[in-house]
Amino acid sequence: MTTPASVIAFNDVARSYKKDRPVLDGVTFSMQPGEVVALLGRNASGKTTLINLAMGMLFPHRGTVRVFGMNPTAQPVAVKSRIGFVSEDQILPPGMRVEEVFAFHRYLFKSWDRTLEKQLLDRFELSNNTQKIKQLSKGQARQIALICAVCHRPELLILDEPAGGLDPAARREFLETSIQLLNRDGSAILFSSHHMGDVERLGGRAVLLDEGKVRIDSDLDALRENTCLAVILQYAATNLSDIRQLDGCIGARAVTNDWHAIFRGTPVGVHAQLQHAFNISAQCIRIPLEELFVELVGGKQTSGAL
Amino acid sequence: MYLAINPSDDLPIYRQIMRQIMDAIAGGRLHSGERLTSHRELSEQLVIAPLTVKKAYDELEALGYIESQRGRGTFVSARLPKVTQAVRTAQLKAAAQALLSQAYLAGLEFSDVLKVIKDADRELTDGPAQPQRKAQ
Repeated sequence: MTTPASVIAFNDVARSYKKDRPVLDGVTFSMQPGEVVALLGRNASGKTTLINLAMGMLFPHRGTVRVFGMNPTAQPVAVKSRIGFVSEDQILPPGMRVEEVFAFHRYLFKSWDRTLEKQLLDRFELSNNTQKIKQLSKGQARQIALICAVCHRPELLILDEPAGGLDPAARREFLETSIQLLNRDGSAILFSSHHMGDVERLGGRAVLLDEGKVRIDSDLDALRENTCLAVILQYAATNLSDIRQLDGCIGARAVTNDWHAIFRGTPVGVHAQLQHAFNISAQCIRIPLEELFVELVGGKQTSGAL
Repeated sequence: MYLAINPSDDLPIYRQIMRQIMDAIAGGRLHSGERLTSHRELSEQLVIAPLTVKKAYDELEALGYIESQRGRGTFVSARLPKVTQAVRTAQLKAAAQALLSQAYLAGLEFSDVLKVIKDADRELTDGPAQPQRKAQ
C-alpha cells in the first residue's frame, strides 16, 4: 500500500536574514497532490521566504523542508524539473528574444509540451513575436514567464504574487489560464497574492503567515462560513485582553471607538457568547475574506490601547 | 444558464452557485431534465476553481436538486425534492434566528419577541385587510 507523498512538507522551519530576527519561526504545513493553497500575509510576513525555501533557493536554519519527499537544496534538479515557477520579480534574460527563451526551455525540459506552448502563445497573441524580453510590456513578460512555467507539465506550480503589478484585465487573463491548467492537469498550486478576489476564485486552502508563524491554515470555504466579526462598543466595560481570552477568539483590535474581534462560530452563537461573557449586545456579522485579512493582521499599532 | 458570482460577497462562491441554481429551479428558469453546464465549462466561464464548482454540484446532488449521469453530464432532477416537514422547520428556524438576532441587537428580551409574534399573529388572523381563505 502506498500513501501519496506530500507535494510540500515543512516541519518546524525557521529562517532569518539578520541574527535573532527570524522571518519564519516554526512553520509547519504540508500540501497534497492536486491541492490549491493560497499563501496570505502582509508584506514582509515571510511568504517569499517560504517559497524560496520550497524552491531550494534558501536553506532553513532549523527544521526540514521536503518537496516531493526530497530535500530541495540537496536535489535541486530532481525537484525543480517537477515545479513550475512564476514570481512578480521574475528575471527573464532581458536581451533574449521570445523564441530564444522557449528554445532554451525546450532544451532544458525533456517533457516540454509544444502543443501547449503554441496554444498559450496564440491565446496571448505572442506567436511570431520577434521582440526581445526587455521590449515587452510587464504583462507580456509575465505571460511568457507563465508559459515557461507550465509547458513542462509540472506537478506543482508555485506562483509568488503572479499578478503583482498587472492591470485588472491582464490579471484576469492570468487567472483564466491558471484555471484552465487546473482543469487540464490538476497540478498542485501554491500561490501568494494580495488580491483576495483572486484568492477566492482559485479557492482551496488558505494559509496565513503572521509574525513568522502559520496563524491560520484552513479550507477557504470553512474559514468563510465558520468565522465572524464582532463589533463591541468600547464603553462595554472590557478590554482587548479580556476579549482575546474568550473561547474561539482568533484576533481582536481597537478600531476608532470600538473593539473588532474575530471569532470562530456563527454570528448567532458568538452574539450569545458575548452576551453571556460581558452582558453586552455586540453586532456579529460574516465578513468577506479581504475584511477578515485586515482584521487579523491589520492595525498592529493600536495594540498599545491595551 | 447565467450565473454571476461575486468574490467579495459574504457567502462563499460555492454557496452563491448553489443558491442561484436553486433559485433558477424554483423560479422555473431551469426545468427537470435540463442539462447543466459541465464542471469544466462553468469553472472556465466564471473563472473559478473546478473544485468549487464540483463542491456546489455535489451539495446540490446530495440535496436532490440535480443528478449526474456518468458520461452524460449533470441534469436537473426529474423528481425534485419535496419540501418535507423537517426542511420546512429548518427554514422557519433560520428565519426565527434572524428575527431573534435582530431583536437582541435592538436590545429586546425573548418575552418582548413573543409579544411581537402574538401581535403579528393577531393582525394576520383578525386583521380587516386580510382576505378570508377558504377552508380546504
